[in-house]
Amino acid sequence: MIELPVIDAVPSGDDAKSPRTRFWRSVSQLERSSDFREIATNEFVPGASASPGGASRRQFLQVMGASMALAGLTACRRPVETIVPFSRPPEHRIPGVPVNYATSMPFRGALRPLLVESTDGRPTKIEGNPDHPEVQGASTALEQAALLGLYDPDRSQHVLQGGETSDWSAFKQAMGALPASSRLVVMAEPDSSMTMARLREELRQAFADVQFVEYDHATARRVSRGYAAAFGRPVRPVHNFSKASIILSLDADFLSPTDPDAVWNTREFSRSRRVEETGSMSRLYAVESAYSITGGMADNRLRLKSGDIGAFAAALSEALGLHSARVPAFADHAWIAELARELRAAGSGAVVVAGDHQPMEVHTLVAAINRELGAIGNTVTLLDAGDAASDMHEEMDAALGSLNAGNVDVLVTLGTNPLYDHPELASAFSKAATRVHVGLYVDESAAGATWHVPETHFLEAWGDGRSRQGHAAVIQPLIAPLYDDAHSAIEVMGLMATGSEQFGYDLVRGTWRNVLSGNFEKSWRKIIHDGFLAEDAFTAVTPSLDGAAVAAAATGLAGTSAPELEVIVRHDSKVFDGRFANNAWLQELPDATTKVVWDNVAAMSPATAERLGAESRLDGGKYYTDTVTISVGGASVELPVWIQPGIAEGSIQVTTGYGRSIASTREERKTNLFDLDDYTDVYGKGAIATGVGSNVSPLMQGGGRILSATVAKAGSGYMVASTQDHGAIEEEGAEVARRGLFRMATMEEYQANPDFVKDSEPAPIKEDWTDYPALWQDNHPTLSPEMQNTLYSAQQWGMVIDLNTCTGCNACVVACQSENNIQVVGKEEVARGREMHWIRLDRYFVSGDGASFEDPQMVLQPVPCMHCENAPCEQVCPVAATVHSPDGTNQMIYNRCIGTRYCANNCPYKVRRFNFFNWSKTLPAATHMAQNPNVTVRSRGVMEKCSYCIQRVREVNKQANIEERPIKDGEVVTACQQACPAEAITFGNLADPASHVSQARQSDRRYEMLAELSVKPRTSYLGRIRNPNPTLISNDNA
Amino acid sequence: MPVSSADSEKTLASTADYHAEAPLVQGNLSFHDITELVTAHTEKKTPLAWWGAFSLANIGLLLLVGMVAYLFWNGTGVWGLNNPVGWGYAIVNFVFWVGIGHAGTLISAILFLFRQQWRTGINRAAEAMTIFAVMCALVFPTIHVGRVWAIYWTLPIPNQMEMWPQFKSPLLWDVFAVSVYFTVSLVFWYVGLIPDIATMRDRATTKVRRMVTGVLSMGWTGANRHWRNYEKAYLLLAALATPLVLSVHSVVSFDFAVSIVPGWHTTIFPPYFVAGAIFSGFAMVVTLMVIARKVYGIQNIITIEHLEKMNIIILLTGTMVGFAYITEFFIAWYSGVQYEQYAFLNRAFGPYAWAYWTMMTCNLVFPQFFWIKRLRRSVPFMFAISIFVNIGMWFERFVITVTSLHRDYLPSSWDYYTPTFVDVLTFVGTFGLFFTLFLLFLRFIPMVAIAEVKGVMPQADPHFYDHAGDGHDQAHDVSVTTPQDHTQS
Repeated sequence: MIELPVIDAVPSGDDAKSPRTRFWRSVSQLERSSDFREIATNEFVPGASASPGGASRRQFLQVMGASMALAGLTACRRPVETIVPFSRPPEHRIPGVPVNYATSMPFRGALRPLLVESTDGRPTKIEGNPDHPEVQGASTALEQAALLGLYDPDRSQHVLQGGETSDWSAFKQAMGALPASSRLVVMAEPDSSMTMARLREELRQAFADVQFVEYDHATARRVSRGYAAAFGRPVRPVHNFSKASIILSLDADFLSPTDPDAVWNTREFSRSRRVEETGSMSRLYAVESAYSITGGMADNRLRLKSGDIGAFAAALSEALGLHSARVPAFADHAWIAELARELRAAGSGAVVVAGDHQPMEVHTLVAAINRELGAIGNTVTLLDAGDAASDMHEEMDAALGSLNAGNVDVLVTLGTNPLYDHPELASAFSKAATRVHVGLYVDESAAGATWHVPETHFLEAWGDGRSRQGHAAVIQPLIAPLYDDAHSAIEVMGLMATGSEQFGYDLVRGTWRNVLSGNFEKSWRKIIHDGFLAEDAFTAVTPSLDGAAVAAAATGLAGTSAPELEVIVRHDSKVFDGRFANNAWLQELPDATTKVVWDNVAAMSPATAERLGAESRLDGGKYYTDTVTISVGGASVELPVWIQPGIAEGSIQVTTGYGRSIASTREERKTNLFDLDDYTDVYGKGAIATGVGSNVSPLMQGGGRILSATVAKAGSGYMVASTQDHGAIEEEGAEVARRGLFRMATMEEYQANPDFVKDSEPAPIKEDWTDYPALWQDNHPTLSPEMQNTLYSAQQWGMVIDLNTCTGCNACVVACQSENNIQVVGKEEVARGREMHWIRLDRYFVSGDGASFEDPQMVLQPVPCMHCENAPCEQVCPVAATVHSPDGTNQMIYNRCIGTRYCANNCPYKVRRFNFFNWSKTLPAATHMAQNPNVTVRSRGVMEKCSYCIQRVREVNKQANIEERPIKDGEVVTACQQACPAEAITFGNLADPASHVSQARQSDRRYEMLAELSVKPRTSYLGRIRNPNPTLISNDNA
Repeated sequence: MPVSSADSEKTLASTADYHAEAPLVQGNLSFHDITELVTAHTEKKTPLAWWGAFSLANIGLLLLVGMVAYLFWNGTGVWGLNNPVGWGYAIVNFVFWVGIGHAGTLISAILFLFRQQWRTGINRAAEAMTIFAVMCALVFPTIHVGRVWAIYWTLPIPNQMEMWPQFKSPLLWDVFAVSVYFTVSLVFWYVGLIPDIATMRDRATTKVRRMVTGVLSMGWTGANRHWRNYEKAYLLLAALATPLVLSVHSVVSFDFAVSIVPGWHTTIFPPYFVAGAIFSGFAMVVTLMVIARKVYGIQNIITIEHLEKMNIIILLTGTMVGFAYITEFFIAWYSGVQYEQYAFLNRAFGPYAWAYWTMMTCNLVFPQFFWIKRLRRSVPFMFAISIFVNIGMWFERFVITVTSLHRDYLPSSWDYYTPTFVDVLTFVGTFGLFFTLFLLFLRFIPMVAIAEVKGVMPQADPHFYDHAGDGHDQAHDVSVTTPQDHTQS
């Protein structure tokens, strides 16, 4: 240290005496005080190195560091599990490159095998497991939408005790303290989980009295009980439609996404319709009260009240000689004799299916008919699935009896919501002192419980189970639970059975130690990778028929007839029994046949509506309908009327799953008068499901779904939002035919004239439209050398959609929504015609050919962007925001778009969607995570549309370029194509004549919609073929 | 001796010979009278009525500002647009206002070239109306885009990305056509104003007024050289503006005609739109002038003759427009194209039939009353008809824009368009903008081209073409007043 002289220092007395001049810095130095010596020796001032009192800075940091580290340790709830924070990424993991994991979604007592894409640790897309024989990579709208369910901002986040926020440890303590003498009732969904089965046994042993109710509100096990009655043992029927030549659906919507075998059925059915491959086609007869998508695919369709289906089945089985009970109502019905003849002729190639809302006796007869025809073992496989065949209502009644008698201490509703389905049970439930509800939402049943435990989403927790055909599978979590308190059903069961915390991972592994053979770790790794155990499946059985039971069922049904006014309660094709009601993608998904969104309606035929005096008024493109009160017994529900052709007279169709009340902790968004954020925020008014539609479950107190009801007009002016039908259904049909939009022919016509689609070219434009080049064709941008010399121009993408196999199941719509970050706009905005779906299913009714306005045929047509080579949208954009890519797709440049909407006006297919508001601005934080990171989230004021999943194309381009190889056919799969269970969409390189899509375009059924505009669409359609029985073609039971 | 206009009407009505046209300026006014009549309104104390009207117009303007702010804050969704109907009120209003903005330049330029001297009485106000109408029109394409902050991308501004606008798009042609039209109209108007501003300068009593008018009159002294240059410039500008009158609405019609939407994709559109624009423009001039001449007491300058001539043009263009409507229908049938056929049947009998028949009645039927001379010279009647024509022409654009879009190729996408309160109030607000500007014009700028009117008065040519007459066989039945007479009176 350099000591500097003190300027103008005043010498002190001491110094003055000193013989030598002395410099000093301060008085203390001068005095040589001890304080000064200390300061002089210490480099830093006091407090700089050690705190004046208590712990030093270093000590403080040491302690804090240690406690932070320890705090971090305690946060590792499951240190043994492989779910680790992404801050230390696993080897060979490239940020931004998604990884796929196999897992499964439990639904209706079976697992739906999945392959889930995870981007940087969060699930971003769900697909079917491509290796699984049942789904082969396809999925339905429900699986697709489950992703949004994971990120649902209204999911329950905390353990609640008596409605107050508590935590998991309190619950753990309370459950640990349950005396062994407790009497329990557990209401859980049908569950194929082996771990759950094991834990049930453990729970039985842990407590004095445990009653289980397999709570299957949706079907009440009518199918399995019906089959059990016929065969004397419970069997699970699986239908192999691909082997069928004659299919009869008795009010069965087996193609619906909610069907337990939805993907299997759809693929199997579509394979029976591939007319080019086989030269023949199955014939589907549908006898149904409502218009379902199965009815839309039907070759002959008979409108019949659901209440008459039983008698119809009895008459048919009588005609087939199964019993001798006479059915006067159908004694000389044209369909019975003809069907019996056709079924007989088809023999083992015939298959009969009945809807799961039909009484069990109908299923008994269906089982008998299939058996009689020899279909068992061919078109119908009976699996020994170990399904319960007892009456769910008996189990339920027994449990309720115990509850009412005060013999139940603990009531556990495990992933079920009985108080939504049966609000009248609240008083019985309250008799149990401890009521535990485990569920994803703070819902109706949570409100009546003393303990609510947030359940994990299936993408967050370990689990297991079996697919419909018995392949054992492990449910592998993709992400740690978003909320700390969330626990899976098996974890709660494990806790209750043992009194101490059990981790799902250990529970599942514990079970699987007994399932897997050989080296456990090796087999475990394999099943985690594959997602299922291929060699393990249910065995097919061929039990003998119990003739007496069949006769009894027939006798019982023979005299039945539908009530004057029947109400059919179906489970909704989107929200099912209400479990998906809080999923905005599903709420905004147009119902396949009514195209209604964000509501449940009482659908009825025009004549029935007229009889009730109910009207639907179209005003400004919106439907304002009357409402009706439907009363059954003491319960009544008010629903808006939806008038729909094709529904049986006197039959009113309602669906479950609406009228939910889910508590939300999010604040209602309220903005200033001039700010519409509160209007545009779909999530801003509490939980999505709350206030949407009405709950029809109270109507089903007896458990049946075919009800005799009194219906009276109640109110009027209820606005129903629909994505189609903004007027003029009759005109629409005529115009569709004139314009050749949807081209179809009967099998006979097709065989006589394979070029029928060419003949359906709209008159008078019979000339070859390719002779008329478009305005800008000569110097089309793709012909420029810059475009020709890119890597991309080797592929020319195109798509072919087969209208003969597409069932209109909506899987593509949600798949596209999930893949492409398509925002939800809410009921009001859909009613204003501002829905955002990039692919839609246009529904048209077809009259003529024996079909009338009251009883028309129905067709569905998927419409994505056609990627016109001479795109009319490109020519009118003033800023070149929509341009052609070298690989022939029509691209939207969001950054460049200024939103003139001219392109949308000029699009003849109206597939362009405009962001009228900033839909992503108000998205809750949790929902942000569901967005695909590879697709731009669009802001307000820009146009968007189908891109042929260009992000997927580019991903493959990139990979092929790195590997220096050409792109293989089928390597690029669009989201809609991947989801499609009917394999109706083919996508690929048109420049390669050997590609699937080029092959498909060779089909004589191929046509391009509005081709005469010379826009040269890259998306083609294959015309629909119907295979009707000509003798029944003009039948109308009305 | 001043002759009342009523007398002159009587005189003329009784004369079967149409060559005997009434003088353009009536009431036997002198040059000084004209100057006084016109400039007085810019010099007098602002009348209370003006303040009342101006306040009302300002409320409208505020409404416009408020609605635009609301739109910018929230997004295009505040309008009633939906998926098939991507263009609604904004484009309808744009075409409507551009159409109105046609009369001014037509009167100033084309009628100038055709030496229609009666134009002088109305051209100043008509040109002002044009400029203000085009300003109102320009509001709409600007605000109708989804991302208004990027609107400048439609202009060919050199940038580092080398991104140019897409020149194939009719919207881009629109940008050029309308902005050129606006610029030329403005310059034309200003050039015409220079001698009159100089007159105001010479009469100015306050310093500020002298300064402002002094600058704006650009040193005009009325020298012979000034007049020579001025008249050349005016002629050249008229020649420049003439093709623009035809081009701008042709280009606007391309927005529709170049698309492939049935009902838009029609080759008749350019002439039909130009005729419609002149039709609506003249109707608007009549509406405004009928009021202004009364309020400002300039009936002798804007005489019933002027109004009648405009009504004849309304009758002519209205009939042309009506003919175009019928031709469209014929062509839709004759083409055999089912989309066209449906589009036109849907217009007449679909959900927007009310709009279609409003248009037909207002545009095709009402102007036909002008075949009757008594009616086309009746001020209240022509006022009513001019209002109907304006309504009808707005509906014409509504019918073209909305009914074509709401049901095009795929019936599944058909929908209905209902405007919201924002749509309606924005449109109302543009009237606020228009009248604010127009009232300012009336207050501060000579509403009649003083110099030009003086030029067509008999006094301007005291020797009456060296007594050879004006080319007609007969002399005017109004006595030629000489400057000497004038000074005496």
